[in-house]
Amino acid sequence: MNVFLRELRAYRRSTITWAVALSGILMLFMALYPTFTTDVAVTRRLLEQFPEVVRNALDISLSTFFSVNGFFGYLLNFAILAGAIQAMNLGTGIIAKETTGRTADFLLSKPITRSTVVTAKLAAAVVLLVVTNVVFAAGAVLLATLLSEEESSAGTLLLMASTLLLVQLFFLALGALVAVIVPRIKSVVAVTLPTVFAFYIVGMVGDVVANEDVRFLTPFKFFEPERIITDGRLDGATLAIDAAFVALAVGLSYLMYVREDVRAST
Amino acid sequence: MDVIETKQLTKSYGAARGIVDLDMSVRDGEIYGFIGPNGAGKSTTIRTLLGLIHPTSGTATVFGKDITTSGPEIRQQVGYLPSEVFYYDDMRAIDLLRYSASFYAADRSATEARIRELADMFDLDLTKKIDDLSYGNKKKVGIIQGLAHQPRLIILDEPTGGLDPLIQQQFFHRLREENARGATILFSSHILGEVQRLCDRVAIIKEGTIIKVEEIRTLLENQTKRFTLELAGPADPSRFVVDGVSDLAVSNHTVSFLFRGRINDVTSMLAGLDLVDLLVEEPDLEEIFLHYYQRGDGR
Repeated sequence: MNVFLRELRAYRRSTITWAVALSGILMLFMALYPTFTTDVAVTRRLLEQFPEVVRNALDISLSTFFSVNGFFGYLLNFAILAGAIQAMNLGTGIIAKETTGRTADFLLSKPITRSTVVTAKLAAAVVLLVVTNVVFAAGAVLLATLLSEEESSAGTLLLMASTLLLVQLFFLALGALVAVIVPRIKSVVAVTLPTVFAFYIVGMVGDVVANEDVRFLTPFKFFEPERIITDGRLDGATLAIDAAFVALAVGLSYLMYVREDVRAST
Repeated sequence: MDVIETKQLTKSYGAARGIVDLDMSVRDGEIYGFIGPNGAGKSTTIRTLLGLIHPTSGTATVFGKDITTSGPEIRQQVGYLPSEVFYYDDMRAIDLLRYSASFYAADRSATEARIRELADMFDLDLTKKIDDLSYGNKKKVGIIQGLAHQPRLIILDEPTGGLDPLIQQQFFHRLREENARGATILFSSHILGEVQRLCDRVAIIKEGTIIKVEEIRTLLENQTKRFTLELAGPADPSRFVVDGVSDLAVSNHTVSFLFRGRINDVTSMLAGLDLVDLLVEEPDLEEIFLHYYQRGDGR
């Protein structure tokens, strides 16, 4: 419990910053929604002039773009990109900090098992992500209420918002795994940014070439807003892939963290 | 009972040697010195005992418990100070020490009182952030976190680096008090004078293997002593040809030689001399260490 509380305290400021930034940006851009919908026909004609490839790359779906849920779903893509960076930073940083900060000797010479350390750290990370998501979802619902339309549904909107957490869990687990595989990470951001953007680019390429199977390869395509709006539920197959990856990455992280020698801090 | 016992404990880092078939036993209540130059395997031994690294082969027990299966249980009663200290820079010293104390089952208020008492003793400002502390003060934090929970076994890995002589003296005084309370101490150092001042027994480690374990007293007693005599009249070199004498140097009224053997033999020889002055020098541990190290086998 002490490690869990220590990590919550250590990351509380950055979590507040991320939560406020994600919600703030969402609110800022959602405030533009009425502008886009003042004259739907004109905006639609403008967007139709874009090549389909560009619209796909930008995740603009003309069938849903002009509804509150559709517009939110469009913005959610970028929120998920930012949230993925937050989650992978957290996953990598929270595990690797003992080796990068050379505090592993201090912590692991205490009467505590290594698996307890990993559990406490990952539990703290999950709580921090949940807090971020609660703030984000609250902001989303508030906006939906303010911009209420007949076709907007708080349930669908919350379901879409929940995909932020699901994608974040993927990157949290990936970050934790990277932290135990790569010895002495000098800069967390230098590891996480290229990784997150690589997955994002895979998704963009999949959109450009209109390959639907890409949704099995990158978490950025696991839960597409347009599909959620249409189906009213999450894709079971990609949800299972997400869950399986998280379980595998976390399991491997435990195994490796418990077995690895702690390098001398000198 | 042995507090620490290792049997053929081996740790290799791939092809690199760490420790090889290391046999060590540290008795309950003793201060056990562990000396050897950098890279000899002192830290590897200590880190293996603490579960920070995993042994390649062999066994080790602490308080009779296997280090590979009872790590947390063992560490509950261990205080550890590494040679280099690194803590969380964003924490204040008091918060770090409370965090450290939170891992142990020791009474919280008694531990808090000991933290305050030790901080006073070492003149450490507990309200400062770790990041703002000098290296010496961080080392003091390390000492306090190692002692605050009243461990039964204190493991110190080259602990005095960064401490000024006055603080070192207080630290050694405190260690003797902890030892008097019943704590066993494993004291690793390459500064031999420190081991000589503090320890009951000493193990000399070379290239990952202990080559000699000896009571400090025995180690010093059994060694060569240097005699320097100032005589009233001219010295006759033939009078000093006795078993055990070596390195004889005679110059006018001054004679010096090394002697190893029964001390009565040399006092009988000196009895017939008209002495003005006599100087008998104890070899320091440094000389003894070099003696063993150069011989290599310790026998």
